[in-house]
Amino acid sequence: MSQSKFNFTTKTVVAIGIGAALYGLLGSISIPVFTQTALRPAIAILTIFGAMFGPVVGLLSGAIGHIITDLIWGGGTIWWTWVAGSAISGLGMGLVFMKSSFHVNEGRAAKADLWFLGIVGSLAMAIGYGFSSVLDIYLYGEPPVKMFAQFLWATGANVIVHLVLGVPAVAGLISRNRKNSNLTVLK
Amino acid sequence: MSKSGMLYVDKDTLFHRMDGAAKLIVFAVWTVIVFLFQDLRVFVPLFAIGLILLFLAQIPYKRIRLLVWIMVVFNLFNSIFTLLITPSYGSEVTGTATVVLDLGYNVLTLETCFYVLTLTMKYMSLMPITVLFIFTTHPTRFASSLNRIGVPYKIAYAFNIAFRYVPDLQTEFRNISNAMQARGMGFGKGEGSMRDRVKHFISIAIPLVQSSLHRIEVVSNAMDLRGFGRHQKRTWYSATAWRRADYIIAALSVVAILAAIAVRLSGFGRFWYPFS
Repeated sequence: MSQSKFNFTTKTVVAIGIGAALYGLLGSISIPVFTQTALRPAIAILTIFGAMFGPVVGLLSGAIGHIITDLIWGGGTIWWTWVAGSAISGLGMGLVFMKSSFHVNEGRAAKADLWFLGIVGSLAMAIGYGFSSVLDIYLYGEPPVKMFAQFLWATGANVIVHLVLGVPAVAGLISRNRKNSNLTVLK
Repeated sequence: MSKSGMLYVDKDTLFHRMDGAAKLIVFAVWTVIVFLFQDLRVFVPLFAIGLILLFLAQIPYKRIRLLVWIMVVFNLFNSIFTLLITPSYGSEVTGTATVVLDLGYNVLTLETCFYVLTLTMKYMSLMPITVLFIFTTHPTRFASSLNRIGVPYKIAYAFNIAFRYVPDLQTEFRNISNAMQARGMGFGKGEGSMRDRVKHFISIAIPLVQSSLHRIEVVSNAMDLRGFGRHQKRTWYSATAWRRADYIIAALSVVAILAAIAVRLSGFGRFWYPFS
């Protein structure tokens, strides 16, 4: 059954919802490295859901999940600019889904695909959080130098989580699914 | 956090009776107005009005105490951080410099202090309206109001599912975490090195993600069985009809945003510094 990768099925809707709930819930957990910088393991959720369900799910669960995190831990404010950053990150992590050689549920992935996920995901975060920082400067009037420092820290920490937790988790899911379908055709 | 309502507090005030879409419009207009200005004379009245509205909505302080504290701590850190990294930024904006303190690598100016105060009030003025919105709007009604203002219903429904499953996933997270701790894994401070704690965290995350993926199957099958997504449009059980108050408040919001844009275009509302 061939379906468009942008098909908005019931499963897409539920994946967005559950992905957002997970991202929002885990968003409250952070491992402080030093002042104002924390590793947020929740980023790995975006990596996994993006890779499994595609850019639309990545984008929307990033956005909704960020809103949920802010509702619980944002001090009564939703940081819209960083919501946009999470959304763009999720979109970038979902791009690997578009490649025909990559399919998590069927356990198919070329080595290049995982590199693609790692690199494009990191770039998307740089672009996404860059966008957030620029918006912070224009919408809130934060000093540019300060936002640049914050941008470097946020992006750096999240790229680390993406590469150390997210990509290996996706690789793990792929190899687990591969074991379930290890039938080969005898020629 | 209750299972159905998350942060929602059930009361019967004007704000609770208002339709979600009307509240969403007020919320959006308020946010845009705050974004437009950089003027303490705008933020202080907005903050005051917000507090009055919050009081009228009868939200118990006990429920929002944590949020208030997070906000205070955030503002404190953000201010200190700004003052340390860019101690003379305010002077760049105003073009005047009144030195307060010589920090060695730069000078701290009075303009910057005032700038930081303005920024803090900017954040503070967004808080009451956000709290008001999230504490008086039931998540299900929120989804239907998103749909009403034009968000496709499938996306609105995804919002609904997300809010609905946060408490469930939280319970699941707690169960897995307890099971892992019973096996001797530590997550808190002093319960192992950084490396161990990260590793232990993964040992919670993997089963949590797997059970969530399973849950996606179950929930989407159940929704498919009930015909979700069959039609282009969908009605909402919790949808409310707009009443006169909703129309009046929505109209006032539109007037307010137009007035704010007009005032902003006339030049008022850039960074205001009274002592120059």
